[in-house]
Amino acid sequence: MRAVWSLLLAIVVATVAGCASGPKFNTVETTLPALSSGKGRIYFYRSSSVGAAIQPEVLLNGTVIGTAKPHGVFYVDRDPGNMEVVTGSEVDRKLTFTLAAGDTRYVKLGVNFGVLVYRIAPELMSASEAKADMADLAYMGAASAQ
Amino acid sequence: MSILRNVAVLAFVAFAYGCASDVARTSAVLASQPAGDAQRITVVEDATVRSSSGYSRTLPAGSTWELRGTLPQGRVYRRVGDVFTVEGAHVHEAYLVVSGDLLVGYYLPVEQAYSQADPVTLKIK
Repeated sequence: MRAVWSLLLAIVVATVAGCASGPKFNTVETTLPALSSGKGRIYFYRSSSVGAAIQPEVLLNGTVIGTAKPHGVFYVDRDPGNMEVVTGSEVDRKLTFTLAAGDTRYVKLGVNFGVLVYRIAPELMSASEAKADMADLAYMGAASAQ
Repeated sequence: MSILRNVAVLAFVAFAYGCASDVARTSAVLASQPAGDAQRITVVEDATVRSSSGYSRTLPAGSTWELRGTLPQGRVYRRVGDVFTVEGAHVHEAYLVVSGDLLVGYYLPVEQAYSQADPVTLKIK
């Protein structure tokens, strides 16, 4: 019985340790820098801690811009154009969408159970759903990689 | 024997899962919309639509779509205030291609491509 409790404790510790840290997004949202003229903004967030040990890199148009940390949110500002998001988990599953100047798009890093392990798949979300999802997540800052 | 069967099922699932087909498409050039066409349409009744990959989506009643151009197959509308994607091996932002009141396919703006759908009659205004 003691071994079971130890195992459960280890799982909880591992899960919590793997989560993003930072202020709640809804407490910093209004302090974020305004979008520069001619740019668009993309938020990336992962709201689930399921499969917390799986934290793949997030690539936007072939460049690593962050990590899919559970309960975390970050953003990038980009010139308008075509966007391709890939996470490097079990199966590469890309998401493509357009970004216009002045536009804000939201990408959820969803968790699915793959063949052997969890996989993180990007999904394009509406602003209303994403804002509700992101409110209590940890704000991890702006990604700077271009 | 039962273990062997389980392994076989797992292998099959793994094979099938890893090989989802992508959305079939052909290159398409979006032409600007003719003057006088209705700029927006609203779906009046929920409609379930299916892409070539077999995945389905619901166009919810009350959703509004803005005219973005035309293809030989029909007029092309983008969702207003929300997002719409089609899914296969990958997920693509998509616009509706509507001929009359018939949804005939999707336009993928990033891929600049047309993807045929199972035709569905839409109740629109």
